[in-house]
Amino acid sequence: MDARKASKKRKAITRDVEEEAGVFSGDELSAENLDGALSDNNNELSGSEEEDSDSEIELIDDFSDEDDEEDEDELDSDELPSDTEPETPKLSKSILTDHEPNFRVVKDANGNDRYLYDEINPDDNSDYSEADENANTIGDIPLTFYDQYPHIGYDINGKKIMRPAKGEALDALLDSIEVPKGWTGLTDPSTGKPLELSQEELELLKKVQMNESTVDGYNPYEPLVESFSSQLEIMPLSAAPEPKRRFVPSKHEAKRVMKIVKAIREGRILPYRPPEEREEKDETLINYDLWADEVPRADHVMHIPAPKLPPPGYEESYHPPPEYLPDKKERKEWEQTDPEDREKEFLPNDFGSLRRVPGYDNFVQEKFERCLDLYLAPRVRRSKLNIDPESLLPKLPSPEELKPFPTTCATVFRGHKGRVRSLHVDPTGIWLATGGDDGTVRVWEILTGRQLWSAKLSDEDAVNVVRWRPGKDAVVLAAAAGDDLFLIVPPTIAAPEIERASLDLLDAGWGYAASNPAPSGADALKKNNPPQWIRPSSELADAGVCAVIPLRYVAKSISWHRRGDYFVTVCSGASTPASVAISIHTVSKHLTQYPFRRRLKGGGPPQTAHFHPSKPILFVANQRSIRGYDLSRQLLVKIVQPGARWISSFDIHPTSSTASGGDNIIVGSYDRRLLWHDLDLSQRPYKTLRYHRKAIRAVKFHPGGRYPLFADASDDGSLQIFHGSVTGDMLSNASIVPLKVLKGHKITGELGVLDIDWHPREAWCVSAGADGTCRLWM
Amino acid sequence: MAKIKKKGTHGQAKNYITRTQAVRKLQISLPDFRRLCIFKGIYPREPRNKKKASKTSTPNTTFYYTKDIQYLLHEPLLAKFREQKALAKKIARSLGRGEVSDAARLEKNHAPKLTLDHVIKERYPTFIDALRDLDDALSLLFLFATLPSSDHVPHKTIALCQRLCHEFQHYLIMTNSLRKSFLSIKGIYYQATIQGQDIMWLVPYRFVQRVNGDVDYRIMATFVDFYTTLLGFVNFRLYSSIGLRYPPKFDTRSDENGAELAAFTLESRNATEGMKAIGSSKSKAIENSKTEVSKDVQAKVDKVIKSAGLDQAEDEPMADKNDEESTDAIDRFEPAAPEADTLPQPDMSGNEAGALFAPFTFYISREAPKAPLEFILRSFGCKRVGWDAVMGDGAFTHDETDPRITHQIVDRPQLPEGSLPAVPAVAEGSTPKVKPGTRIPGRTYVQPQWVWDCINEGKLLRADLYGPGTTLPPHLSPWVKASRGGYDPRASLAEQEAEGEAEIAEEEEEEEEDADDSDEEMADESVSKKAAVAEDSEEESVDGGMDVAGTDDDESESDEEEEEEEFPGVDEAASESDDDDEAARNQHQRELEAEAAGLPFSAGATEESSKKKSTKSKKLAAKKRQEDEELERQKMMMSRKKRKLLEKMMYSNKKTSDEAAKLRSKRRKLEKGDKAAKK
Repeated sequence: MDARKASKKRKAITRDVEEEAGVFSGDELSAENLDGALSDNNNELSGSEEEDSDSEIELIDDFSDEDDEEDEDELDSDELPSDTEPETPKLSKSILTDHEPNFRVVKDANGNDRYLYDEINPDDNSDYSEADENANTIGDIPLTFYDQYPHIGYDINGKKIMRPAKGEALDALLDSIEVPKGWTGLTDPSTGKPLELSQEELELLKKVQMNESTVDGYNPYEPLVESFSSQLEIMPLSAAPEPKRRFVPSKHEAKRVMKIVKAIREGRILPYRPPEEREEKDETLINYDLWADEVPRADHVMHIPAPKLPPPGYEESYHPPPEYLPDKKERKEWEQTDPEDREKEFLPNDFGSLRRVPGYDNFVQEKFERCLDLYLAPRVRRSKLNIDPESLLPKLPSPEELKPFPTTCATVFRGHKGRVRSLHVDPTGIWLATGGDDGTVRVWEILTGRQLWSAKLSDEDAVNVVRWRPGKDAVVLAAAAGDDLFLIVPPTIAAPEIERASLDLLDAGWGYAASNPAPSGADALKKNNPPQWIRPSSELADAGVCAVIPLRYVAKSISWHRRGDYFVTVCSGASTPASVAISIHTVSKHLTQYPFRRRLKGGGPPQTAHFHPSKPILFVANQRSIRGYDLSRQLLVKIVQPGARWISSFDIHPTSSTASGGDNIIVGSYDRRLLWHDLDLSQRPYKTLRYHRKAIRAVKFHPGGRYPLFADASDDGSLQIFHGSVTGDMLSNASIVPLKVLKGHKITGELGVLDIDWHPREAWCVSAGADGTCRLWM
Repeated sequence: MAKIKKKGTHGQAKNYITRTQAVRKLQISLPDFRRLCIFKGIYPREPRNKKKASKTSTPNTTFYYTKDIQYLLHEPLLAKFREQKALAKKIARSLGRGEVSDAARLEKNHAPKLTLDHVIKERYPTFIDALRDLDDALSLLFLFATLPSSDHVPHKTIALCQRLCHEFQHYLIMTNSLRKSFLSIKGIYYQATIQGQDIMWLVPYRFVQRVNGDVDYRIMATFVDFYTTLLGFVNFRLYSSIGLRYPPKFDTRSDENGAELAAFTLESRNATEGMKAIGSSKSKAIENSKTEVSKDVQAKVDKVIKSAGLDQAEDEPMADKNDEESTDAIDRFEPAAPEADTLPQPDMSGNEAGALFAPFTFYISREAPKAPLEFILRSFGCKRVGWDAVMGDGAFTHDETDPRITHQIVDRPQLPEGSLPAVPAVAEGSTPKVKPGTRIPGRTYVQPQWVWDCINEGKLLRADLYGPGTTLPPHLSPWVKASRGGYDPRASLAEQEAEGEAEIAEEEEEEEEDADDSDEEMADESVSKKAAVAEDSEEESVDGGMDVAGTDDDESESDEEEEEEEFPGVDEAASESDDDDEAARNQHQRELEAEAAGLPFSAGATEESSKKKSTKSKKLAAKKRQEDEELERQKMMMSRKKRKLLEKMMYSNKKTSDEAAKLRSKRRKLEKGDKAAKK
């Protein structure tokens, strides 16, 4: 009955809010999954309300009849049944039995267990079916069978389900009860009287019940004023689709919050405390031994450690010895020099006592410079020679041991007008023959300087060279003046028998020349034809000239063979044909020969020639080289290249070939060099000496090998005397020691000393100067 | 035929690399490269042929070994530099954004820490190597320890330098390894010998250092960084080698009071047995138990006890003590005869050094430099050094009147009694003041130089020569070795003069005097003329004018004379017998000159002098000339190369001998002046 009442009430209510029904029905439609707890009521409701569903419950039909009577509710109720579907009792049963095993165990053909499951009725298999105890269980029989009974069937428990009261009865009952207006059936606890509500109060309650605003005239559905338009703008500010984060709660924030929450819970996040000053650990403190396991390692080869600063000297003292203090001049000089150029960066100063010492101004600067030096200055290893310079000097024999050698000018021979071009000491060492620009040949007594004899060979031409014939058996002087060669026996200076022997020696050749007829006229005209020796003019014959050889070219050099039978002349003029430049003359045959047909190789015209002192070798020098020819075999045996530009003269060591087996040659050149050649050693010079400031005119070994001396004469007006000893030992080189510079000749017309010769027995030498004098040095 | 090698791929072109190339290769900035080079000790090289080594025509380029730079590439410091650079960028960015606190945080927490330990190990594989290279380090650190702090030089660096230097000094004091010291114009040189290595350094006097504009402190700071690390390790090793704990205890308060050295307390490594070796000698040294404390420490302890015992019996003559101690020391061999060879003997040992000042108590007066004196006295065995209270803490006594004081170091002039100010009344509780200038009996007063000269000589010198107010004997450098041809101020003049040098000099001087006389006359004349013309103040013009004129003239004259003497040597070869002629000619010449100058020529005097000259100096001159000729002759025979070498050597020898001759002549003059003054 209660249920009925309730339904009535509900109906009444629904009636009141009928216009809202659509809204609610929509809600209910959507809520398909109503809870089971509500289902009882639903069932009851369905039992009371639902009428036209296609379920088999007839009672519903009855109800529907009822409903029909009620007027407009039909539509609403029509819709309702579809959602709250009534459940069949069978179904609810099947659901109830759901928890039991829904299979049977049978044996199959093999005897194994076989699970047979109940067949599932798909129609009834609804989750929403519910066991209903009050449901009619009469089955599929018409209700009309129970018309005559007060009940209409039986429930599941077998109890009679009584026929509900019919409409008329209800109405009658209700009519019988008069309900006052505003009756609620409640008692007002304050008055103890039945609580009656006025119409306004009821309205209010209804509004509260309906969750409506209690204010009168409130319209919850006022037209919307669109502040943010829902309409799409034609030109939106951003065309980007709205990002998801705009409408999805941020997971990241949630995470962070959770993190913080967790930290707070665990006590990790504490209330704020100012950070305390951390105790700074002193990194500079050393607390272990770096060299605990030291292994010596050699420095890299190229490593150069920085040089240490030198220790301070006396002058750096604050109170130095007084002699270290600078005087005015030094102080001024120091102050005036640029700081970079100063030898010392400070001036010694005496402060007397320690309290007066000031700070040093440049201390930081100096340390800074040291720092710069350490990392910026390239380091170079310099080996400092800390040896005594004396030890470097060659060990030379003292000049006393080398004596005698010429040191002073003993005699001056004056008489020549103009330059003295050539001079020679005769083999006996008594006479000196000179020839000069005045065309005279003079013979002097060496020791006294007295002129013994003189002869004018030519008026215009100078006497270029004079040479005595070697050997003491005869006194023969060969002189070249102009184009002619003269062989002279100076009268009345030698003993008569020697003079006669000399004359005989020269005269013997006339006969030989006569026996050999002169070449025919055609031959005589030929240029290369050797000249015929002729007798001198009476004038000359009176002067002592015995023979004249017309060479046709100017001879600059004469050199006798050691036996005195041959001599070689060289005409070094540039215009001289090569074939006639060098000629060898035989005294005994009055014969002149030209041994060379062609010009010598190696540069320039021939300059001078000498016979080897002991071997049959003729050395011929042209401007740049010296060649040795074996006369007996007629072969070139030696080429010497001194490296000089223009050889002026050379000389062959008189004894070295016999003593040591090798030849030694000295060469003088116009380019100021004196060269010593050891022919066994090399064709290049052994020593090159350059002590003269002008060209060297003549070089000469001391003849005979008695004194190991040689000398040269130069245009700078000086003679230089050297000691040049050749040992017999092949291993040791010749030792050359400069001994003396002899000065005395005056330089006239750029020329100084023109010729030099040694005394054959003594360590004396004579020199011919351009100043018209000859000097004897001893 | 061998394969033709491409140019620039072998030899010098490959071995050398210019600085720019190196910087580019390492990809660091030039300052960083500089720092790296300083740390790693890499320096430029001089290629044999610059042209071959450089690829450019630029003449001034710095070359490094390519291998060196290659070796820098693997340096961990390089990574640190890069980190620093990155951090600098970050800081700059945050500063640009105005986030100062951020920048500060970055700087504080993220700055990469440079440690140079590995570099030091690399550069100095053994401890001895490190000792060998300590000279520059000590000099620079001692300088930095005295610098005022500025924005270039942070106070931390200075404090560190001070600490390290003091620690090092303490080691020297403990082991008595200081050997020599020298007061120079620049500062004080010290030399110590540690494990056979001589280490010399220079400490500036305590004045504010003047800094010129062109000193780059960044470079020096880089060196200081390296050297502090080096000295730290060296100190650690040194301390642990004698069984001391490193670092020593440092008393900040006492340091603030100016205690300097005394602010440190050395402890033995065995923590339970504290050993206070320095500071006041009153501290009781506890006997070490038989643990492995090194013998050195034991010896120190013994010494401390001994010195404590000495306090009571101070009057005990020191000779006795010496006799006791020097039993196992090397005896000094003195050659009995002068012509014998002298064999070299080792310098004094640590024990000897430690005993030099051991029996004395020193008091350093206010005006004497405390720090160097304390250091030297302590390292030569003195245990009790007192000083005035104004000079800081840590003294043995601040009381000048203390009767235990045996020596007082003073550096003040002797003033007459009346000129001294009255002594202020002595306040109660303070140490009694001694009136300046008064002497307390029973005490030796010396000037500071005495201490230095004593240690350099290795023995106690006569103190009366160094008394206050006296003129001190010259202070000589202990490192100058007498060399052949060099000048030795210790030896007498006669010993080192060349034969006949004195006579020549004498004659020259006489001549000069003559010239002076004549000059003076002339000057007088001029002065009188001047006086006549313009009324000048006479004294001034006489003094000034005469002096200047005199000196100038005789210099020029002497120069001329020298030249004259030199010239005849040239044509001497021609005529040896011309000397007399020449002399005559010279005489004549001089007469003429005098005439031209308008002087009365005193024929007699010059003749006399010239005669004198002709006796001895002529002989010498002739001899010299002969020697020169001989030398010329020998030179002629040498090859060009050898001759050049010889000339170079002769040049340097000549320089030293000239220098020596100059000094000798100066001394001669001085001695003569002294003699004259005595007369």
